Amino acid sequence: MGIPTATEGRLMSFSLNEIASMGKRAARGAGYSWGLAEEAGKAARWLAAHDLPGPELLAELLIRNDGREYETLAPVIGDGKWKAGSDLLCPLITGSALCDRASEISSGRKVELSAVAMPMLLAPFAAGVAELTGTPVRLSWADAELTLTAEGIAIDGSTTALTRRAENVRCEAVDQACPVKAAKIAGRTVDAETWTRLAAFAHRTYAPATEASRLAGAGAGLSDSD
Amino acid sequence: MAQTLTSTAHTALRPPATVMRLARMGSFHQCRLSFMRVLLRRLKSENWRFERPVWKIDANGVGVAVYTAHGPERSYSLVAFSHDLPANQRSDRVIAEAWDATFTLFDGEPTQDDIERLSWNVPKQEAGRISSSEISLSRANRSVRLFEHVVSRLAEGRQPDIEKVRSIGYLMRTTAVYGSGKFGAVDREAIADRPEFAGPFQAEMLSVYLTRAFMLDLVEHLARMRNPDKAVRVDPDLRRRFGVGNSTGLGLAPFLANHPSLLNNWIAAREEALARIRSLPTAASAEVELFCDRLARARINAEEWHSEHSLQIQKLAMLKADLDHLQAHVSAGALEGDAPWDRLYVWSERNLSIEGQEQLVSLMQEPYASLVDELADWMMADEDAYFRIDGGMPLQKLRDHVEEIYGWALELDWASQDNLARAWYVSEEKLEPRLGERFEEPIEAYEQPLAAGRDAAAMFRDIEAFDGEASVAAFLLRHPEHRHIARRTQIAARCPYAEIRDNTISAALLPIDLLRCKLAFFGATHFDPRSDRWVRINMFQDAPFPHELAERDPDEWAFPPLRKAV
Repeated sequence: MGIPTATEGRLMSFSLNEIASMGKRAARGAGYSWGLAEEAGKAARWLAAHDLPGPELLAELLIRNDGREYETLAPVIGDGKWKAGSDLLCPLITGSALCDRASEISSGRKVELSAVAMPMLLAPFAAGVAELTGTPVRLSWADAELTLTAEGIAIDGSTTALTRRAENVRCEAVDQACPVKAAKIAGRTVDAETWTRLAAFAHRTYAPATEASRLAGAGAGLSDSD
Repeated sequence: MAQTLTSTAHTALRPPATVMRLARMGSFHQCRLSFMRVLLRRLKSENWRFERPVWKIDANGVGVAVYTAHGPERSYSLVAFSHDLPANQRSDRVIAEAWDATFTLFDGEPTQDDIERLSWNVPKQEAGRISSSEISLSRANRSVRLFEHVVSRLAEGRQPDIEKVRSIGYLMRTTAVYGSGKFGAVDREAIADRPEFAGPFQAEMLSVYLTRAFMLDLVEHLARMRNPDKAVRVDPDLRRRFGVGNSTGLGLAPFLANHPSLLNNWIAAREEALARIRSLPTAASAEVELFCDRLARARINAEEWHSEHSLQIQKLAMLKADLDHLQAHVSAGALEGDAPWDRLYVWSERNLSIEGQEQLVSLMQEPYASLVDELADWMMADEDAYFRIDGGMPLQKLRDHVEEIYGWALELDWASQDNLARAWYVSEEKLEPRLGERFEEPIEAYEQPLAAGRDAAAMFRDIEAFDGEASVAAFLLRHPEHRHIARRTQIAARCPYAEIRDNTISAALLPIDLLRCKLAFFGATHFDPRSDRWVRINMFQDAPFPHELAERDPDEWAFPPLRKAV
């Protein structure tokens, strides 16, 4: 297999490109549209590059949202308050919607998000707002505060606060940048269980191999061994 | 921020609707901006040094060799594992599991421990793992037709048969050359700030260039092992006639669609070169002379270019006739007078096939290093800078962009089975991209987003039905299924050559057109389609070897040498 299934209990090193590609395929396998799956891959990669648990949180989210309808997970946008149709807000859908409204947020629109699953997954999208507009953005929930700028992320909160499964989140532009941690373009380790979970979702996007497809699909032709 | 090239030519660039058609992209030829030529110009101008610190290959051709290239700041090493593959396992197909030789490009100079680690992984290719110390992963099989002939001739103290060398052109064929973080290798972004690897595919081209040196060393070594007293080396002029073969299948085809801003920058550089040359008021006699030399050599190239594929046979016949016609036209004084190149190009549109027109576009670059070569610096792309969607864009503006970019697709009947006949999917086996028949195979559920025309037409229908005052953000929250094509549309609105303006799932699609476009940018020659979806090519044929680079021209090899008068 191109992207190997990690053996149980082991940590394996993956390039950021592999993480992005696996994230995209896994999200697609879990039922997200291709465009949202691209956002998922990008988000997992962004978090991994900032030494945050991108693949891990994505795997948790996909397991949670597997089989749920888009409409139940997407924000209904009210007056400053965003709420899911009938479930926890999906951070991939919500993050994309936030990033699509980058200029509104940078010009002062505050957004209250009720009950977001895996809120840490919003960070790459808030970073997108900062990259697009140059305005720093703050995400905050009960015991965590993240500041995203075009250069990176500043975190105030414990590890447990960052891996919460559901929180009300506030998203707003802030006036002042603070010192941030920048991305590091280097591979990182992912635990075997996480990788296996993502790979199982990704696997749903692969067509079963048949002899017919091997011949026709890859292009039978003249001898290739002369 | 993303940077795009601003034209300095007064002649307009050819419009995307002309350039970005598959029939034309499938007729591209190598040119001064091809990545192999960009690489050799750099290696030469920076005085790179080459050595072979390790050569532990036995009489059966089994073992390991290391080739190191020393640049001004860093060194890179090709680590080559040579195997003794039973003939029945030899296949160029990506589904193969064993090869005659396997390679990795190592970042620096490998220690014994590195080589040991790599020896457990590189020979397994996709089934192994490499690390961030490695930049690429590749493999090659021997050409059964030529390899043994060359070894036995050399062992007898004789030179290989020149006609055989000419008609086959390589000793070994590579298949995939994996880079960009695949199988654990270093991420492209981590090395893209090194000047030597800023341009596209420079590391992969370096790996193939060193691989060619290994292949020639290997046959000479095997001949010497077979007959130490009589064996000879290949004569240097004949030696350069050996390139590196490559078999490329569908795996490469989605690349152009998946990297729209990068594709734009490749095409834009080549189009800008054409526009600059067409803008020249006159052609100096030395320039005309150089053009005529390369034209004559392009004619020899066409002669030496063999294919058994009926379409390519037709295209080659047209190319030869085109080149004869072009030679006659130039001999009759076509390059005298004002705006000679513009007139010549306009003439070609009326008088040559697309294959001939695109050969001319490449040839016109040859005399103009100072106008053309700097454009290579514009061929990389910061793809991240194009990823984010501009959700504040009014939906009506997105609609206008769709009409402009995908107008051709809006006119197609998307209820017709012929227009939807194919589907791109990824097979479970080795995760390679494949192309299937939508209405005959159970593959639609696995379809990859590689049908921009169809998707744009579908989005257009939904835009028409949506609130006319809305923003793209509101539309995409309601229609997440259009997020992919909305992103592409916005990229193509910023990058005119980002999008292929043809139906990539049509019954009439020829995937080899996509392969040809990409491989021509690599600098490949002798495109030889083996079906409508895989192609053989030659790389670095006639190029100086690493040990010859200091003494030889890094560019003129791109056309075969004129045959000496007998």
